[in-house]
Formats: sequence, C-alpha cells, structure tokens
Amino acid sequence: MSSPSLATSLRLAASGGRSDHVRIGITAAGAFMTTLLFFLAASVGLIGPTDGPYRFEVLNQPGLRPGVIISLLLLTVPTLIFVGQCSRFGAPARDRRLARLRMAGARPRDVVRIVALETGLAAFGGSIVAAVAYFVGRRWFATEHIATITTETEIGSRGILLEEVNATVRYAPTDVLFPAWIVVALVAVVPVLATGFSVLALRRVVLSPFGVNRSTPSTPPRLLPVVLFGAGTAALMSFSAVVRLLDLDRRAFPLVALTGFIFFVMIATGLIIGGASIAAATGRFIAPRTDRPSILLAARRLIAAPYTSTRATTSILLAVFIGSAVQAVRASFLAGTDPEDTFYATTFSLLNLVLVAAIVLSCASLAITTTEAVVERRRTLAALKAAGTPRRTLAASLFAETLVPLVPSVVLAASAGLLSARGVFGSRVSSWSDERGEVILVDVPLPVATPALLGVCAIAVSVLATAASLVPLRRSFDHAELRTAA
Amino acid sequence: MNQAPSPNLADPAPSPHDALQTQDGRASAPLLTVRSAVYSYGSELALQGANLQLAPGEILAVTGPSGSGKSTLMLVAAGVLAPTAGQVIFNGRVISDDSEGERSRLRRTEFGVLFQFGQLVPELTAGENVALPLLLDGAKRQQARAAAGLWLERFGVADLIDVRPPDMSGGQSQRVAAARAMVTEPSVLFADEPTGALDTMSGEAVMREIVRVAREAGTGVMLITHDAKVAAYGDREVLVRDGTTNELSINLRNGDDR
Repeated sequence: MSSPSLATSLRLAASGGRSDHVRIGITAAGAFMTTLLFFLAASVGLIGPTDGPYRFEVLNQPGLRPGVIISLLLLTVPTLIFVGQCSRFGAPARDRRLARLRMAGARPRDVVRIVALETGLAAFGGSIVAAVAYFVGRRWFATEHIATITTETEIGSRGILLEEVNATVRYAPTDVLFPAWIVVALVAVVPVLATGFSVLALRRVVLSPFGVNRSTPSTPPRLLPVVLFGAGTAALMSFSAVVRLLDLDRRAFPLVALTGFIFFVMIATGLIIGGASIAAATGRFIAPRTDRPSILLAARRLIAAPYTSTRATTSILLAVFIGSAVQAVRASFLAGTDPEDTFYATTFSLLNLVLVAAIVLSCASLAITTTEAVVERRRTLAALKAAGTPRRTLAASLFAETLVPLVPSVVLAASAGLLSARGVFGSRVSSWSDERGEVILVDVPLPVATPALLGVCAIAVSVLATAASLVPLRRSFDHAELRTAA
Repeated sequence: MNQAPSPNLADPAPSPHDALQTQDGRASAPLLTVRSAVYSYGSELALQGANLQLAPGEILAVTGPSGSGKSTLMLVAAGVLAPTAGQVIFNGRVISDDSEGERSRLRRTEFGVLFQFGQLVPELTAGENVALPLLLDGAKRQQARAAAGLWLERFGVADLIDVRPPDMSGGQSQRVAAARAMVTEPSVLFADEPTGALDTMSGEAVMREIVRVAREAGTGVMLITHDAKVAAYGDREVLVRDGTTNELSINLRNGDDR
C-alpha cells in the first residue's frame, strides 16, 4: 500500500478549520521570531575585523560579542518553546480531524506525515518571512552617523591603548556578509526543529479511527529533580571556595568552566522536571484541606495533570533563574569597577531588557497552554456552569492552577540563580582603590531587590497571560457540549 | 428543530395558578411553569412556544425525537438558557428575566441537573464531586463531605467516595452524578437522557434509584428522554415535536416507583 502523494498530504494538512489555521499562523509567528533572533545572533557572530564600528560598545569589543550572542540565543529558548507549544493549540479539533482521516483509511504514519507537513511548512513560512524581514531591515538600518566610541589599539607587549574618538558608526552590524550556506542553515533550523518536535510529540499518541488518545505520565518523579536541583545549587554555591581551595591555575579554566556549566544545567533540569513535581505536591497538600471550590478544582487538576500547568511555565522559570544569576553577576562586576564607568551598568541593563523580553515571550506559551486547558475541559466546564457554578469560580480555579505551583517555583528559581552566581563569582571582589593606588577587596552586596522584582514581574505577566487566555471560557459554556461524552 | 419563521403558539399557555394533579391524585399548584417559551440558535428556532408545568414531587417525562427541542426546553426550564420570548416561572416567580448570576444561584440551590454522560469533574473524587455544590454554597469541607457520603449511600455507591470518575463504570458514574444533582435537596431535578449512555440493565437500575430517591425527597423531576421505557417512569408525559409541546397522557402510577 503506497502513501498518499505529497500534494494530497499537503491538501489534507491545510484542510483544517479555524483553530487549525490559527495554529498554523502562530507556529509561523513563533518561527519568524526565532529565525529573526538566529539571524541577529549570526550577524553579531560574523562581525569581522574590517566591519564596524558600531554605536554600541558591546558590538565593537570582540570579547563582549559572545555575551550578546548568548543573550540573543537565550531569547530563542522561549520562542522555541512557544513553537513547540503551538502544536497543542486546537489539539481536540485536530485530533477529531486526524481520527476522521484514519476512519477514511489513512494509516498512522500518513497522519503523522500530515501533522509534520503542517508544522514544518508553517515554520518554514515563518522562517522565510524572517529572512526577508532581516535583509530588508538591514537596508533600513544601514544608515551611518557620527558618534563617540572607544577604540582599542594594541601597543606591543605594554597592553592595549583605549581612546575615545569620533567616528562614523552604524547602529547594528548591517555591513557583515552572510555566506549563503549560513542563510540556508538559519532558514532551515526552526522548521527542522519544529517538525522533529511535532513528530516526537506524537510518540505517546495513539491515532485510531475512533479518536486520538494521549498517554501522559501523571506522576512526576520526586527524587530526581530534588537531587539535580539540590546538588547543582550546593555545588555552585561552594564553587569559588572549592576552586580556591584546589588552587587551580589558568590552564584549568576550560575544565572549571565546563564543570560550572554542568552544575548550571543540573539546576535548570531540576527546575524543569521539578515544576511538575512541585505542582503535584502542592495539589496533594491543598486538595484535602481547602473549603474553596476553585482551589479544590485547581488542586485536583494539578495532581491529575501536573505537566499541563508547568509545561508553559518552564521558560518563565528558566528566565527567572538566569535573570537572578545575572543580577548577582551584575552586583559582582559593579562592586569591582569605578562607579563613574557606566559601561557594565549599561550592558547589564541591556541584558535585563533581554530577560524581560524572554519572560514576556514565555507568557505567550502560557497563554496558549491555558487556552488549550479551557478548550480541552469545555464539557466539564459547561456542565459545572449548567449546574450553577459561577463563572468567577471557574476562572479563579484556572488562575490558581497556573499560579499555585508557579509562585513556589519562581521563589526557588530566583534563590537558586542568585545563590549559585554568588557562589561562582564570590562575595568579595578585587577593586582598584584611587586613594592608595592599590588593589583592595570589597564586599559584594547581595542583590535581593532585583531578583525579587524579576520574580514578581514574572508572576504578574503570568497573571495577565492567564487572564488573556480565559477569553474562550465564555465560549466553553456552549450547552451543546453537555450532550457529548467528556 | 426547523426553520419556521414564527413561533407556534397553538398549545394553550398554562398559568402558574393552574392546578395540577399530582401522582397521588391531589390537586397542586405547579412548582415550575414554562409558558410560551421561544428559543432560537441564531436564525434556527428550537422552541416555538413550548408550554410545560411541573407539580411538586411529580415526575414529568418529556419525550420526542432527536432534534425536537426537548433538551433546549429543559435548559430553558432550568434557567441555563434564557428564552427569547415567553416565561419560566418557579414557585410563582418569573425567573426567566433574572440575571445569569441569579439563575446560577437558583440552579445551585433549588435545581439539580443530571446529564447523559454524568459530566463529573474527572479530576475530583466521587465524594468531592458530590460535595462541590455544597462547597459552592459556602459549606465547610467536613460538612460537605459528610453530606456527600450520605447521598452516595442513598444511591448505593458509598464505597466509591474516594474513587475518581475515570476509574468508575458508566452506571457508577451516573449514580454519583445523580447524587451530586440531589445533594442540595433541590425542588426540581432536571435529568437529560440520564440513561442514554448506559446499557439496558444499568440504565434501568439507575432510573429506579433516581425515581426512588426523588420520591423519598419529594423532588419534582423533569425527565428528558426519547426512550419509551424510561418515559414510563413518569407520572405524565409531554411530547415535544418541532419545538412545540403536546401533553400525551397521564400515567397514574399512584406511588408505583417500580
């Protein structure tokens, strides 16, 4: 038996209803943003010795460019998660369509192919538009103007001469040349990742002619996230002390950096896996103790589907974790530099902007997940409403479902980020003393306020995203849902 | 349902003061009256001047073919939908003009609603599902759980108190749903095809339980069904066809709850 032709598969992939079209649209939008960020990161990475100068010092100094690239790549984490989450949008309607295709004779692999084509083409469309937008934008921002910049000149073995000069500068690296293969790779990477994810997401799904059954693990691991998070945090908290104790020389720096990165990844993984564990544990604690129906509904939902609420908050937690770490690093840098030198303060402020953008982008995923949770439970919600449950109770339960596990997770993420970075960069740094002309050690203040503000902002933006996703709640009260099995 | 442009008001509209004959033969003022109710889904008329009366403690079977408008009639009578025209009167008060919030409160306190598929909250245990209406009304957890236990016992499923709906059979789910609908001791129970998703044996068993408990509690029941066997549990039968109502017969059971 042969597979349907590509043209047939394409027609079937594009034959869905409104929710399918919305999913295609938002997948393309996510791919657009991610690809654009990849192009921006690549343009910084491709700055050559003859390119520039630029308005921003971080682009002029080769040593600082990796930081810019990493910041831009960090922004792609929430946008990539968003693209992944898009595959869940309108899932019930798509599942019914896939079941009908199976009923009409399509094999499971044909259906998987249709899903992969839908996602891949949507992402490809978004990536192509992003590439076009990038190159159009390059021309748009290619204007030059005069500004004062700092230049570096090597003066033999004596060091580097820093000079402030007036020069013709560009705002962004619009003069770098892109080899064709890099353009092709950047356009291809998101569609390939999105297609792969959509196929992987179907591995736990049984596509039968009678419907689509998703098997999701309902009991998250308890010990593994605690071990990863606890060990990683403890290791980074004592990192600089241990490195000092071992008295490692500069040659050991790559190994030390790799070890630190592994601990960092351990904490992030612990947070990602632990989000679901925290959700389930919080639900188990609250459910038998509450008198409030909204909290009871939320708590039981957290126990039954702990991954649903935490899937979307993963990138928010990562942003808070990294953001808090950045605040500790910022405090360490600023404590060791001249207060009149605003370079680091400005750079870290730019980084904070990137973090805020990451949190906002993460909330798009949260809005999609919460919307999907409403659509998925529309029959139960319609029945509860018909039985007299006030809409505000149902809305409150959906809010609680997001926020109850998010608040402790944000506190943990912020604390871990702050303490880990402080452990790595130390609580005392060397600083130049103007009066005595010698290097002195100064205490680094513990920056509690900014990580706390970051956490509060993350929770506030999550509240807004959840509120936005409650719009379909009113529509979910369609009484026609009462005649259908939940 | 059809596309008729204007409501058919041929069926004489009842007054809330009309006396009804209850199952024990006594005359009684109607507890619930639907008068000349019209309801449309967009341009499609589902009810075209439907009339209905329910006496306290009466079991009224509302029958009709699929798409005739009987479920819409139930949703209008229960205050889930507000009629486009006409009135719904409960205990002598017009409730169809009430706000959605007021009708919601009424459904929580005076009405119980039972659906074809039970529509229990799958994440909650049976006990929590049944306790939910009481919690919504401000009851304390222990008090609500105790009441839930009693009602589960009355429907013969007390042992399921800590079981979640996905782990129950269809009959068990429907009994739990019935207990949830009755836990507030409502004046009226609205049951929409309550055995429609069950096999014959389970369906009959569930119907017997519902009728027995409703009789004991003195609850009026509006029973929506297209199954003649289920309709036979009613004291009276009203036929809905193309959005209009016709009283078919008076089944004088005189306390026979079978």
